[in-house]
Amino acid sequence: MTLFLCHMLDNGAAGLAAYGGGAAPLAGKGEDPFDSGMWDLHRAEYLGDPAGWQADRGMRVLAPRAAEDPAHVPVIVDATDVQGRVQRIVVTIDYSPLPLVLVFHPGRAQPVLGFGVKYEIAGPIRATALADGVPARMGGAFVDAMGGGCTAPAAAHARPDWQEDFGQMRGRLWPATGRLRVSIRHPMDTGLADGIPAHHLTGLRLLDGQGDLIASVDLHEPIEENPALTFALPPDLAAGPVRIEARDTNGYRFAGEVTA
Amino acid sequence: MISRRQALIGGTAALMLPLPARPAAPEYRLSPQQVADGVWLIEGSRDSFGPRNGGAICNIVMLATQAGAIVIDTGGTARHGAALRRFADQKLGGVAVSFNTHHHPDHWFGNQAFADRPIHVLPMTARLQAGNAQALSDGLYRILGGWMSGTAPLPGKPLPADDGFGAGGRDLRLLALSGHSQADLTLMDRATGTLIAGDLLFLDRAPSFPDADADRWRASLDLLAGLPASGIVPGHGPFARDSRAFVQTRAYLDGFHDRMARAADLGLAPSEALAAGPMPDFAGLGANPEEYRRAVIQRWRDFEDQALPLIGGSV
Repeated sequence: MTLFLCHMLDNGAAGLAAYGGGAAPLAGKGEDPFDSGMWDLHRAEYLGDPAGWQADRGMRVLAPRAAEDPAHVPVIVDATDVQGRVQRIVVTIDYSPLPLVLVFHPGRAQPVLGFGVKYEIAGPIRATALADGVPARMGGAFVDAMGGGCTAPAAAHARPDWQEDFGQMRGRLWPATGRLRVSIRHPMDTGLADGIPAHHLTGLRLLDGQGDLIASVDLHEPIEENPALTFALPPDLAAGPVRIEARDTNGYRFAGEVTA
Repeated sequence: MISRRQALIGGTAALMLPLPARPAAPEYRLSPQQVADGVWLIEGSRDSFGPRNGGAICNIVMLATQAGAIVIDTGGTARHGAALRRFADQKLGGVAVSFNTHHHPDHWFGNQAFADRPIHVLPMTARLQAGNAQALSDGLYRILGGWMSGTAPLPGKPLPADDGFGAGGRDLRLLALSGHSQADLTLMDRATGTLIAGDLLFLDRAPSFPDADADRWRASLDLLAGLPASGIVPGHGPFARDSRAFVQTRAYLDGFHDRMARAADLGLAPSEALAAGPMPDFAGLGANPEEYRRAVIQRWRDFEDQALPLIGGSV
């Protein structure tokens, strides 16, 4: 089962199947389907070197085969077929100068997250689910890219008035499907572009009507400029309201609320 | 039985075989066809840029005149341009003048081969050619490899503001339009009534949208549809004497718009809209599904903000 919504477009279910459904290439037990050098290091650095990790085709990652725009590579991860209750999903990019993209704590939301990343060089993007009592499960996709996404200045800096709509939050809740989408105008400066210090969102969380936490995401430099995030909520929470709160490296705070 | 030593020798010998490589200087094979009196079309491949077509993907038109050919678009690489120039020199008495319809590289990276004669472009096209040459060239060297050898993009010169042009006894009507890109030049050969539409029209090939403005594009199509054309050369796809290219290009613009608006309004993420693939009616067009996937990434933001209301901000 997947919570991807491709089937809502004409012929979209067939399209998704033809695209491979987001499954990583087949690999033997304990083998890396992408056969790529950084995985051992990143597993130790960002996942605590989990014993018994496995590539899992049920850990779905939809990403373009070719980046087209290295500043905006759209990705969505779906771990609903991963065994056990998912505590965390860690997203990394193999050959990025800034490999850690985000850590998603689904909490009471579905283990589904859509986001966009910057790509510096072609290579795999991976999402690894850490669930209670189950070995770490890794899925991913190879993205071909010319690169330059992390070291180029944000487009905002070409506009003298970029701060006017800085922090503007857009969003919407779809009760029928449990979808929640939110976007925030933010330059997401990595600190790698000449003369522009790092300035990026560090976290975003969803709260229910009582102010209790639903889910949270730790956000890092490779997230795209003006990021849009996609969540999936179970029916009880999909009725809303949901409050969205975010913060960045400079101490700015952002908030908004969606209702059904 | 093979001994270990034999196996090792075999293995070493295999390593010493030359690697199968792309030819360093592959050949462009042109198939010019005369579609109207003195109007030569060299049709491009209907695929995306790739090592199999060497970037020869757009349509090239040459109009025969007493002073040599009027060349409309010059090809996707220096060597493609050189092959086109040889045809003009051998069959059409040389080159009188060239035009680039817009700044996408398949239409003008062959300019070097025509640099001894004037190369005319719209003023905005000249700026976009100069501003994007390096990035476009980097991308094409990466995709096309040896096909690109020797290519150093050469922007055209801005046209004087005039809607008419003549050379060697052949008169053209020029129309400065936009929509496919920021500046799209369309030409009408007055003698034969042939409309050379540039990339404002596609036929049996998925339109490309990196710089598209759908509303302006539709307005340009309305204007072109009112011209008394006897035949149409689209930017990509076959010559046609009927209005199929208009019907298909409009339907694709509308179909893509509807699919993106629906996807954004239903809460899909852009990666889901991409993976869902193109509109079923257009799935079989040349360059699809690749062109559709590129277009989703290029145009998604136009639709996303429409679907997501303002809900908050900095606190």
